[in-house]
Amino acid sequence: MSTRRSYLIRRVLHGLMALFIIATMLFFLFRLGLPDPTAALITEGLSPEERERIRASFGLDRPIWEQYFIYLANILQGDFGYSFHYRAPVADIIWERLGNTMVLMLPAILLAYAVGVPLGAWLSWRRGSRTDTTGIFVGLMFRSAPMFWTGMIAILVFGIALGWLPTSGMRTLPYEATGFFDKIFTLDFLHHLILPALVVALYYLGSPLLIMRNTMLEVYGEDFIEMARAKGLPERRILYAHAARNALLPVVTQLAVTVGLAAGGQVVVEVVFSWPGLGREILNSVRTSDFPLAQASFLVMAAFVVTLNLLVDILYTMLDPRVSFK
Amino acid sequence: MIGSRILKSAQEPLRAMIGDRLSLVGVVVLLSIICMALFAPFLSTHEPLAVNEREEGSLLARSVDGERPRWVQLPALGERTLNAADYRDGVGLAVGRDGATWRYRDGEWAELEAPLPTTLIDVAIAPGGAALAVGVGGNIALLDDAAAGSEWLPIEAPVSVALTGVTWLDDATALLVGVDETILRLDVASGEFEALESPLGRGMRLNSVALDADGSAWMVGERGLTLRLDPDDDSLSLERLPTNRDLNHIHLADSGHGLIVGERGTLLSRSAVGERWQSQDSPDSRAMRAGWVTDEGHAFAVGRSGIVFEREADEWQLVPSEEERHLRALMVTGEDYFALGSDRFVNRLAPPSGEHWFGTDHLGRDLYSQNVHGSRIALLVGFIGAALVVLIGANVGLIAGYFRGRTETVLMRTVDVMYGIPFEPFALILVLLFEPSLLIVILAVSLLTWRTVARLIRSQVLSLRERPFVKAARVAGASDLRIMYLHIFPNVMPLVFLELAIIVGVSIIAEATLSFLGLGPPQSISWGGILHNARLSGAWRDAWWWNLPPGLFIMITVLSVFFISRSLELVANPRLRARR
Repeated sequence: MSTRRSYLIRRVLHGLMALFIIATMLFFLFRLGLPDPTAALITEGLSPEERERIRASFGLDRPIWEQYFIYLANILQGDFGYSFHYRAPVADIIWERLGNTMVLMLPAILLAYAVGVPLGAWLSWRRGSRTDTTGIFVGLMFRSAPMFWTGMIAILVFGIALGWLPTSGMRTLPYEATGFFDKIFTLDFLHHLILPALVVALYYLGSPLLIMRNTMLEVYGEDFIEMARAKGLPERRILYAHAARNALLPVVTQLAVTVGLAAGGQVVVEVVFSWPGLGREILNSVRTSDFPLAQASFLVMAAFVVTLNLLVDILYTMLDPRVSFK
Repeated sequence: MIGSRILKSAQEPLRAMIGDRLSLVGVVVLLSIICMALFAPFLSTHEPLAVNEREEGSLLARSVDGERPRWVQLPALGERTLNAADYRDGVGLAVGRDGATWRYRDGEWAELEAPLPTTLIDVAIAPGGAALAVGVGGNIALLDDAAAGSEWLPIEAPVSVALTGVTWLDDATALLVGVDETILRLDVASGEFEALESPLGRGMRLNSVALDADGSAWMVGERGLTLRLDPDDDSLSLERLPTNRDLNHIHLADSGHGLIVGERGTLLSRSAVGERWQSQDSPDSRAMRAGWVTDEGHAFAVGRSGIVFEREADEWQLVPSEEERHLRALMVTGEDYFALGSDRFVNRLAPPSGEHWFGTDHLGRDLYSQNVHGSRIALLVGFIGAALVVLIGANVGLIAGYFRGRTETVLMRTVDVMYGIPFEPFALILVLLFEPSLLIVILAVSLLTWRTVARLIRSQVLSLRERPFVKAARVAGASDLRIMYLHIFPNVMPLVFLELAIIVGVSIIAEATLSFLGLGPPQSISWGGILHNARLSGAWRDAWWWNLPPGLFIMITVLSVFFISRSLELVANPRLRARR
């Protein structure tokens, strides 16, 4: 138990270390690319007081090492600075956009796995058959089609030609919502969610499907399956009760990694469906040279990925007793 | 030595690639796409970024929709500009560029055999049914029976200048006008010409001629030049009109109504034989090319950029028209009103056709050629990116797995950091900080993808380095480098091949994604870039031919790579081979 605890602590430290390195990299990358980050501001004609406030908050008149430490200190306090474009604190904007992204990505990914995992198990059972080949083909096809393209075609077919579903935004404009949950718990929102969520789900469907199928094939070669078969258990029972259970581990890992990457949102899906998420925000901030927003969005995404990767490792230690804590 | 060993270790993956049926399909498809990229200039039918123009014989018809008249587009008459039309007793004729000739009868348009290979400028039908067409180079052709005949008879003209107008004085005589104040009277039966002397004699251009109800003939031309041929004493006289602008067309009705149109919206009208021509206010100042007035005095005029005027109670109105192309002729049959014309125009958003297999985009550029050229960037980024990724990833994995200890810790912590970076946002930031270019795209793809390869190779190497053959090599005194690259590396080769294939697919999608977001190098053609243009133009919602092919190309390419990777997976992981 103590080895496990020390392993976990070490992993958390590694995660924090990675985040620290990413933050540092980001800082110097930005300083390298944009020697005067307020240049974009001044042309936009911000008032002198605001400009002073920003210059001071970034400490731009100080030596670069001092600036770097101020930057780190600001991040630790959750102060991501002030958006040039929105003229508002970056943190507020980011949390809202992150929420918007998550309500799209989470249902979509869960749907993909809820369908993909059983389907993969079933295909492995029918391995070598025509069904198997077809299933792999369809899964790979959606995995190969770029998501923005699938999205555009979906909009053309279901949004424009058939007129069944709305094709952009989270709600029909104009709408009034007092809070985040007020915005989400409506039929109108669900109506807007269907098309983008389906497009994302179809794209992600391939990976649980194929991973599950392949791991199942590996598991079929294990001794305990031979054992179950020797006991005369029905094939279906072997499939779901014995093999599938043991094949779930890589799928769970993949799920966590996928969710981590989803925080960044699929930028293209948010662009195609005009979904006001974090991914679209980072694209906009790049277009408007809103560097505090770009920097902070990136950092939040990275934090998400690192956290979820950490979670994967922890899950591994809990799900697979064979993992050693070196 | 190293080369031959690695080649030998590559044999099994290569054999697997063509052994499996799906994988073989993948290999064939991928090879064809590679060929497409290599021979793109020969395969494409057009310059991919060149603006394509086309022309057609545009045809508009007037339709009254409630109160307001509108001019609606009918199916085009061929692909050549129509310059003039005439109508008499149920039969209409229209002529145009390169001898294009169409006949209108019983409500149907039908193309006739070209009387001459050269451009025809005017046509006129005689009361008796014969027709004359005139054109550039003094070319003249006669059709005996406009209603049924199809054999045009060329007539030798005494001049070689362009003839711009023709009208019949009676069933046997026609009057022809042209540039340089050319005026010819043709006796059709004998084929003899009589040149008439213009009273002005300054070599100006005459544009149109028409027969008046009293038997006189009116000619109009450059700078307001107007001539009248008196039937009684056969003399030509200069008429004074209230304009000095170029006049393009004259039309006279049997009732005495008349209309002359010209440059800058010039409109001149009269309502009876012998009445003075009055200048009328025009609702638009573009060049008018043709006019028509009915016996009741209902008048129409058409001109550049598809504008159509109609006169209501002596007031000219701009009438909505579906056409943006130049209109050059009018033809009124009694119940139907037609406008004809067209110049060369940019062939924008054209659906697929024999000329443009995948249609054209909003700038009239050929999409088939763009798609063919797009394969180049996709494969370039796909293969260079994958090669870089595998080169970095495999070496990092090999070194980390072989040396272990501090080296491994440092390398694998770097991989951990790399795992914390989301791809699309990272590429966006790179573009924000540097200029978009192919290098940035390849860099973004390869900097973030080698992490997976490094992890996989390392775990494989970790188990390999404990195998007896490695120990034997070490005992025999082999150097670390020798063991790593000569003994261990060939054994991870199947895995390297597998990763190579997967990452080619991933890189192609990544490149398409970046280009779609507008982060690709400007001025280059890629599949993602075509979709970016489609989205940016806003026309993608209607132009399905613009969206569909690039996505299909990406999908087919990546799919073929994935098929190949599946067969390689069986080599890398024999446990996957299906067994009961």
